[in-house]
Amino acid sequence: MVDLEPTNADDVLADVLIEEISIDGMCGVY
Amino acid sequence: MTAYALHPQVGLRDEQFGALAYHYGNRRLTFLNDARLVTVVRSAADYDDVDAALDAAGVPVESRPAYAKALARLAQAEVLVARH
Repeated sequence: MVDLEPTNADDVLADVLIEEISIDGMCGVY
Repeated sequence: MTAYALHPQVGLRDEQFGALAYHYGNRRLTFLNDARLVTVVRSAADYDDVDAALDAAGVPVESRPAYAKALARLAQAEVLVARH
């Protein structure tokens, strides 16, 4: 039976899937 | 049931690693490091629930809790907007 409840492994994969940074004050870089 | 749509102030740019999402309002830049996640983000507005979007993007069932977490974080970061 597959356990679909969130686990620590899910947190790790979620961390790999997205990274967030703020570039406030760097207008024009992108 | 949760569904999402791309925030109207967010621009997506395809990259080799996936895509960059830039929010023109809060100036946050988010790296989407997975092609399937990018597909879900782009197509989220076309589906009435997130599971259908994940299914259409080919996300394996065992990986869906992690993708759901990633999508929730994208909603917190205002890359996505939740639709209920």
